[in-house]
Amino acid sequence: MSLAVLVDTTKCIGCRSCQVSCKQWNGLPAERTHIEGRDTGYQNPLSLSSHTYTMVSFREIAEPTAPGGFKRVFAKRQCMHCEEPSCVSACPVTALRKTAEGPVIYDSNKCMGCRYCVWACPFGVPTADWDSLTPVIRKCTMCFDRITGHMEIADLNGQPVAAEARERYAAGGKTPACVKACTTGALRFGNRDDLLKTAWERVRAMPDRYVQHVYGEHEVGGTSFLYLAAVPFEKAGFRHDLGTHAPPEYSSIALSLVAPAAMGLGALLTAVYMLQQRKIKLAEAPAPAEKE
Amino acid sequence: MSEVSRRQFLMGSGGLLGFLGIDLTPAVSFTESRADRITRGRQTTTICPYCGCGCSAIVTSEQRDGRWVAINVEGDADHPINEGTLCAKGASLYQMCNNENRLKKVLHRKPGSDRFEEVDWATAAQRIARLIKDTRDASFTERNAKDQVVNRTTAIASLGSAALDNEECWLYQKFVRGLGLVYIEHQARLCHSSTVPSLAATYGRGAMTNHWIDLKNSDVILAMGSNPGANHPISMHWVMKAKENGAKLVCVDPRFTRTACVADVYAPLRSGTDIAFLGGMIKYILDKDLIQRDYVLNYTNASFIVSDDYSFDEASGLFNAYDPEKRKYDKSKWTYKLAEGTPTEPQRDMTLQDPRCVYQLLKKHYARYDMETVSKVTGTPVADLERVYETYASTHRPDRAGTIMYAMGWTQHTVGVQNIRAMAVIQLLLGNIGVAGGGVNAMRGESNVQGSTDHGLLFHILPGYLKTPAASLPALENYNKTNTPATLGASSVNWWGNTPKYMTSFLKSMFGDNATPENDFGYAWLPKVDDGVNYSWLQIFDKIHEGEIRGMFAWGMNPACSGANSNKTRQALAKLDWLVNVNIFPNETGWFWEDASLGIPPSNIKTEVFVLPAAASIEKQGSITNSGRWMQWRYKGADAPGDARPDGDIMNLIFAELRKLYASEGGQCPEPILNLRWDEYLHDGEIDAEAIAKDINGQFLADVTLADGKSYKKGELVPSFAMLQADGTTSSGCWIYAGSFTQDGQNKSKKRVRETSGIGLHPDWAWSWPVNRRILYNRASVDVNGVPYNPRVPVIAWDADAGKWTGDVVDAPATIPPMAQAGGKLPFIMNEEGVGRLWTMKLEDGPFPEHYEPFESPIDNNPFNGQPFNPACKVFKGPMDKRAEPGGAEFPIVASTYRLTEHWQTGVMTRNCPWLLELQPQMFVEMSETLAEEKGIRAGDVVEVKSARGTVLAVAIPTKRFKPMTIMGKTVHTVGMPWCFGWKTPNSGDSANLLTPNIGDANTMIPETKTFLVNIEKAHGKTLRTVPELSATRRA
Repeated sequence: MSLAVLVDTTKCIGCRSCQVSCKQWNGLPAERTHIEGRDTGYQNPLSLSSHTYTMVSFREIAEPTAPGGFKRVFAKRQCMHCEEPSCVSACPVTALRKTAEGPVIYDSNKCMGCRYCVWACPFGVPTADWDSLTPVIRKCTMCFDRITGHMEIADLNGQPVAAEARERYAAGGKTPACVKACTTGALRFGNRDDLLKTAWERVRAMPDRYVQHVYGEHEVGGTSFLYLAAVPFEKAGFRHDLGTHAPPEYSSIALSLVAPAAMGLGALLTAVYMLQQRKIKLAEAPAPAEKE
Repeated sequence: MSEVSRRQFLMGSGGLLGFLGIDLTPAVSFTESRADRITRGRQTTTICPYCGCGCSAIVTSEQRDGRWVAINVEGDADHPINEGTLCAKGASLYQMCNNENRLKKVLHRKPGSDRFEEVDWATAAQRIARLIKDTRDASFTERNAKDQVVNRTTAIASLGSAALDNEECWLYQKFVRGLGLVYIEHQARLCHSSTVPSLAATYGRGAMTNHWIDLKNSDVILAMGSNPGANHPISMHWVMKAKENGAKLVCVDPRFTRTACVADVYAPLRSGTDIAFLGGMIKYILDKDLIQRDYVLNYTNASFIVSDDYSFDEASGLFNAYDPEKRKYDKSKWTYKLAEGTPTEPQRDMTLQDPRCVYQLLKKHYARYDMETVSKVTGTPVADLERVYETYASTHRPDRAGTIMYAMGWTQHTVGVQNIRAMAVIQLLLGNIGVAGGGVNAMRGESNVQGSTDHGLLFHILPGYLKTPAASLPALENYNKTNTPATLGASSVNWWGNTPKYMTSFLKSMFGDNATPENDFGYAWLPKVDDGVNYSWLQIFDKIHEGEIRGMFAWGMNPACSGANSNKTRQALAKLDWLVNVNIFPNETGWFWEDASLGIPPSNIKTEVFVLPAAASIEKQGSITNSGRWMQWRYKGADAPGDARPDGDIMNLIFAELRKLYASEGGQCPEPILNLRWDEYLHDGEIDAEAIAKDINGQFLADVTLADGKSYKKGELVPSFAMLQADGTTSSGCWIYAGSFTQDGQNKSKKRVRETSGIGLHPDWAWSWPVNRRILYNRASVDVNGVPYNPRVPVIAWDADAGKWTGDVVDAPATIPPMAQAGGKLPFIMNEEGVGRLWTMKLEDGPFPEHYEPFESPIDNNPFNGQPFNPACKVFKGPMDKRAEPGGAEFPIVASTYRLTEHWQTGVMTRNCPWLLELQPQMFVEMSETLAEEKGIRAGDVVEVKSARGTVLAVAIPTKRFKPMTIMGKTVHTVGMPWCFGWKTPNSGDSANLLTPNIGDANTMIPETKTFLVNIEKAHGKTLRTVPELSATRRA
């Protein structure tokens, strides 16, 4: 059972409570920002970083049939928690790992700041602390500590909490901070298969509203953040050239060939060496005596 | 590479990040998980201090060095309104408490000084009391020029505050009225003051009629004059639920907003033309006969005959009885024609054919509002008008409900009251008032501005919306006679007929045992307002310039940024003798003397300033009332930092010193001060919020037996305002809150029981005024036999077998049967004629809304009438009160101001929270791509926005969300700016209110900050940067 988040961008109003809830839960500092003014609108910070695990992108896309003549799209971006993460594959010290529950988490103690994951990630998620003497890579963990934790509220305002309320609090405690805070219900958390089912039901029921595609279902072999949109995904800033194979599949092919290649090369070179030796030996051998 | 140990790294980054006020320890604890740490912390609930949604958050605190510190704040999953969600501001509450920028010390600025000095509370309280007494005694007026007893001082003004808890609001109005102030104002004046008279003139009460969760029951939701997607985000939680059930969201706005993004229908309109737009809808509804006929006939004054005096002249745009010199109407000339006989009944024509009946007059008035003309004025394409009208008018069917979500886009205009009136009329025509999913949802923007208005922090109302006594009413009996309406019609309940009971009970709550029948219950001690004189916000700043007002409280308010025409406001502050600024963060008001743009060096500014540090919402306990009238208790989570104290205690400190001075020295009219009931609220020297809550509720002051035979003992809390008496045997601080605290010790605002079935009323969660009624006017949701119009979502229903009403608390005495039965009554009980008013005689600018251009208009040829702007609004004529020429070339661009999700009001709180400033760091101006191109402005350029009153720098954001409009054949551009920035935050820019005009609505003087004229130019060589930064984009 793999946990995932469904992001229905058609319900997002760009309130950014997901951004702030993430900072609150993870104790992250604010960045110094300014207004760019381009088609990024109010978007801030402009990209993910080791201090900003999630950010909502703002886009205005011309669409003559839509109310107002265009579509304004807000898309919450963060680590995609790939099914087969490239970052996990690239990390030489296994600081990053894909958990059984679904989230891709990391141990910042193990991270040595080599930034291979930065190169490997097809979504450009992990970012380094370029100004720090001790740079660390950090990213969204799908609130792994919440979903595997046991946050309880048993007493409230000095009174014990009733059973039904306790259950609600416990369920909220096991939900990623961004999903819990989302005002319009654009974010939904649950089992990946169930979310895919819900996503397709929604998309098929309202073909006027949704592009008939669930982003993340197959991209790079599938991700645990799934998206629905009213506009083609590439217009909303999603890469559409990623294919449906996880990059580690390709690199694993290459990697799996390393040993045979090395051994093969070694064997080949050994054979060449032996042949050459034999040649030399033959060349150095005394000429056979003349026979009468 | 140097070795950095884990500890060194932590300490290093902790120090680096420390100045942002972020405590890293919660996130990087190696001994236990954050979830576990929260589990073992102390959990309290609070209500978010930002907008009026009333969302609940769970605050987890733990003890550190003997102080309670908040370590986590997140949404309350059990709360029926927000269900665990929070917007960006609510999600940032942790930073409100854990913040280096919080005021921790009492600060004192001596006259002429260039700095603040830290002082202790006792010193400050003594000095402030001295200043108050000297100013008060020097200016105290016992009798005015007409020789009427007024017992007031007009040399001191009070501004504040919707940020206070209900108990503090009420205590504060007692404090300032005890001092004899009449200049009493606060945020409500600037935001929803136009809502109150508008809705009261139509329905009888001036508040949001339904509540947030009820939005899910709607079939069509109109968001006009508002942007709930940005400014009341949790409301969208319920709008989305309605949409899931097939409802349509219709958004009408000059700009394509975050609400428009999720709307099914969007229509643009020029800012300031809402009456034209809605007038067109009224014509559409009447022409196509899309009224809920049963409702209109029985529950509105559609059939009432209007007296022959009333008339409207289309050419001039004036109603009858207008005095052009005074710019005032004589409202007494707008009356009904009465039928012969007693009891007094209005004349009616139930066929709605009589040309003098309200229905026909309405039809005639809006005959000019055809879609072509409306389109020329509003700039909305005719097809869009039709789409909106058709979608919304579909709710005339009894089984369909339509609701309106509105806010500043309607209220902040010279025609603010009439904007709202137009919709109020539409809702009556469609039968949408009193029903689930219907109503007029006036979305209040402050967590307790509803409460602060309920508790009378405006010059013209006492707690419970009683009128402040006029100077021409020398005794309580005169007051009661003038202010108690006579019942019109046998079927009308006329609840305001009980006014004397509420007024006497209020006086008893002010002066306790010192108010006796012999001294007219202390009526003479209440300061009187001169008849017909306005003491509201815009007047105050005028009077400071004139030298009349010498001292001021800016209590939980930032007038330097919140009032229209900020230059006039800021210059005024420099003329005061003293200013007391109570706040939780540094702000542009308390620090006004540092503002270089004033053009006055601090050495020339004589104002003595005190800045008093207050506790934030999470740091004290008390109740607040959200926009849906839900009174909810907040508990104390964290301790206030440094010397900061709850506002109630600050009031007490000052008041105690003041009373000492009057007791020992005597002085002008010390009686009201010495006789105020006050010490009963103290517990161990500190203010006890629940003690005040009980006084607000009210109690019996003697053993009484009422007419119904029930007996109550002295000291018992009154169960409802129905038991209040006019003879001094009861007291109640605010009659509409009676019933919120019961004799069995239940503080109802603390209740937390969700409903298990129903339409979302949650009657056992918190308490709503009045008497826990959740949907107002709900007797209009049933027909005359008590059968719900919409059985799918019934609000109330008459159970014939049991002989009583079921469902919500019925809006009338519960014993009254349905209208068709003997003893049945009309549903609008607060109106003297018992029905909703399509035509009203109560407003200063007319019985029907009429389109007038804004004070600053891009055109000078209004096709509807010949008035330049609202003929009944007051115009200031001083040197700083400038106006742009209508249709002029100097300022040809229409400008509007608005809010952002990420900031709140003037931004004092949110600009100081790094997580929010990160999201919205700078002042910007949005404009159409066309306008940007015309002016050679590119995205990110710094531009200068200029109006007749001031200039402000902003970063340009060209966008598709504004488009040029064609108005009366002319191309008109609109730009928009947020007003949440202020010079105290480096590199962010200053307030948009530097541009706005100080002209107000004809009824309430709410400033017209939503539409005015500007021009914009690239600001060559100028920047928003005020302090050097290492790098603009570098992360801290």
